[in-house]
Amino acid sequence: MPELTYREAVRDALSTAMRQDDDVFIMGEDIAEMGGSMGVTAGMLDEFGKERVRNTPISEMALAGAAIGAAMQGMRPVAEIMYEDFLTLAAEQVVNQAAKLRYMSGGQLTVPVVFRTQGGAGWSPGAQHAQQLEAWFVHIPGLKVVFASTPEDVRGLLWSAIYDDNPVVFFEHRTLYPIKGNVPQEIEPIPIGRARVHREGEDVTVIATGRLVHESLKAAEEAEADGISVEVVDPRTLQPLDEETIVSSVKKTNRAVVAHEAVTRMGFGAEVAAVLQYQAFDWLDAPIERVGAKFSPLPFAPVMENFVVPHADEVLAAIKRTVGKA
Amino acid sequence: MATEVILPRLGQGMESGTIVRWLKAEGESVQKGEPLFELDTDKVTQEVEAEAAGVLLKIAVSEGEVPVGQTVAFIGAEGEDVPEVAAAAPEEEAAPSPPQTAEATVEVQEEAAVASGNGRIKASPLARRIARERGIELARIRGTGPDGRIVAEDVERAEAGGPSAPAAAPVRLPTGEVERLPLSNVRKTIARRLTEAWRIPVFQLQASADMTRVNALVARLRERDPDVRITVTDVLTKVCAQALMRHREVNAEFTEDAILLHPSANVGLAVAAPQGLVVPVVRSAERLSLTEIAGVRADLVGRGRENKLRAEDLQGGTFTISNLGMYAVESFTAVLNPPQAAIVAVGATEDRVVPIDGETAVRPMVTLTCTFDHRAVDGAPAAAFLQTLKESLEDPGLAL
Repeated sequence: MPELTYREAVRDALSTAMRQDDDVFIMGEDIAEMGGSMGVTAGMLDEFGKERVRNTPISEMALAGAAIGAAMQGMRPVAEIMYEDFLTLAAEQVVNQAAKLRYMSGGQLTVPVVFRTQGGAGWSPGAQHAQQLEAWFVHIPGLKVVFASTPEDVRGLLWSAIYDDNPVVFFEHRTLYPIKGNVPQEIEPIPIGRARVHREGEDVTVIATGRLVHESLKAAEEAEADGISVEVVDPRTLQPLDEETIVSSVKKTNRAVVAHEAVTRMGFGAEVAAVLQYQAFDWLDAPIERVGAKFSPLPFAPVMENFVVPHADEVLAAIKRTVGKA
Repeated sequence: MATEVILPRLGQGMESGTIVRWLKAEGESVQKGEPLFELDTDKVTQEVEAEAAGVLLKIAVSEGEVPVGQTVAFIGAEGEDVPEVAAAAPEEEAAPSPPQTAEATVEVQEEAAVASGNGRIKASPLARRIARERGIELARIRGTGPDGRIVAEDVERAEAGGPSAPAAAPVRLPTGEVERLPLSNVRKTIARRLTEAWRIPVFQLQASADMTRVNALVARLRERDPDVRITVTDVLTKVCAQALMRHREVNAEFTEDAILLHPSANVGLAVAAPQGLVVPVVRSAERLSLTEIAGVRADLVGRGRENKLRAEDLQGGTFTISNLGMYAVESFTAVLNPPQAAIVAVGATEDRVVPIDGETAVRPMVTLTCTFDHRAVDGAPAAAFLQTLKESLEDPGLAL
């Protein structure tokens, strides 16, 4: 099994799809010569040429709209939104157009577009370049939302997103780009809507996304030293949500922690908690704990940024609260 | 007769409307033409005016969707009877009461919190389900979760019949305010009886006993019959009973005109129950074997911790043993348990260096402190009683 970084895994999915399928192309700000602000598309211009690796003007609304138009015409565009903070500028196209057109046309139109984007704290990008806005898009009927946390997952899920006939908002995490992991020789598509159990446990289930998957795995190891057995589940796809896997895990462990980097209030974890309290009510032995960022714009100063976003410590504390060992 | 308020048709094609909120409360007087409630239709939200003057007697539909023509309220003279409403909209049941200001919401929440402090049992959903399925009463389970919440483990433990949760109280951060714990009946009784006891002239005598043989005896009996679980307390009960029968002037009660000497040693055991101190009684302990005492003691202590003792379990004691040995207390003085004339306070059995035959030795020693009612017992007979107690512990065979 080859080892790839998360960044290379994204590139591999894009390049492989473009090699086998002329309908697939990528577009975005500075993705061609510069290879994207995070270097994800580095080298792709040389292989595929500027027709299929298209630099766009600095207008997220225009590039999102163009991608939607191409998708409606039968292409499978992958549009890169440089920072997910800038999805706010593309929101009209993503939320009001891409998400609605198949429905409003009675199925006459499909919009097989992927909006790839990245965000996340941990490198002092400040308040406007590191938000975690996935909850905004999970709230929109008509969009699929993916947030992958490992090289294997990001490659297999991006593949499925490209070949899904519906618009997919595909979140990547900035600090995960350099992490390495083994991936299958050939790309194995990972179905959208299926969670991954990273670690099995008996006492408490942590449902985590993005960077917090890794923090939760660290916390789980520390908890084990205290005799607490932790199961870590990454939904991977936030919409549609694999409720079955999450609910059955919590029915087994009777306790749950939801963890993400986005602010806790109204975060994706709130929805998970709601699903669990309803479907696993009679199995819960403790209140569901939530871990997320404090309700604040992200500070620039590293110590303050570190203070605002959650880490393994916070997950561990939440785990201990659920088992009454806090 | 009361006038019905009917949901009006506000436009052509209107089949139903949704009552958003009432602008008048039940019991309030209403003028004809005054706005009565807000109605939401598929076109507009508008205020509906009263068609009659009087008192708003009853709001039949407080909120929700209602078909045109349905009665939603009654206006009439104060105190007038209101006919039953035939068919209420289904939304009515679930609908909350009319205008909910922020203040009203806060009040409701506070009420709920108070209610949870009074009588509502805190238990996790899982604990409730297990208790329901297995027919276990939550009321008799003590919770070990945060804020005393009953969690699944507590129910499992209760079902297994084990002792209720260890006394490790959940850590609660002080709120910074004085907490007020209203006096329970048990607490009131404790306070009254101890205050009475304090007025009695008492004296204390203290002696230490070598527990080597008692420990060996207990170990041997447990080995022979592991199910019975004989404890040091059981041996103490037996030894005290025998000493009381040999020194009947201690197994006594002082009254206005006589000293009563009891024919039997009914030994009370001070038990720390969740609701406070209780002293169930092992009756005629001098006639019971150690195994019998252990059985009676286990039953009494178990029911004491579950708050299930009956009145007769607590009556008729002639002497009391108060044992704080499990808390690393070396020795202490117990307050008399009237009308009994004596009580023994038992400290922890601990290794001490003691002289034996001119040499130093390390022995498991216990310190006994007896408190006596001086009106009933003088110093010399009291000392003789304590000496018998000490000798019987050091050589349990002497108690036979």
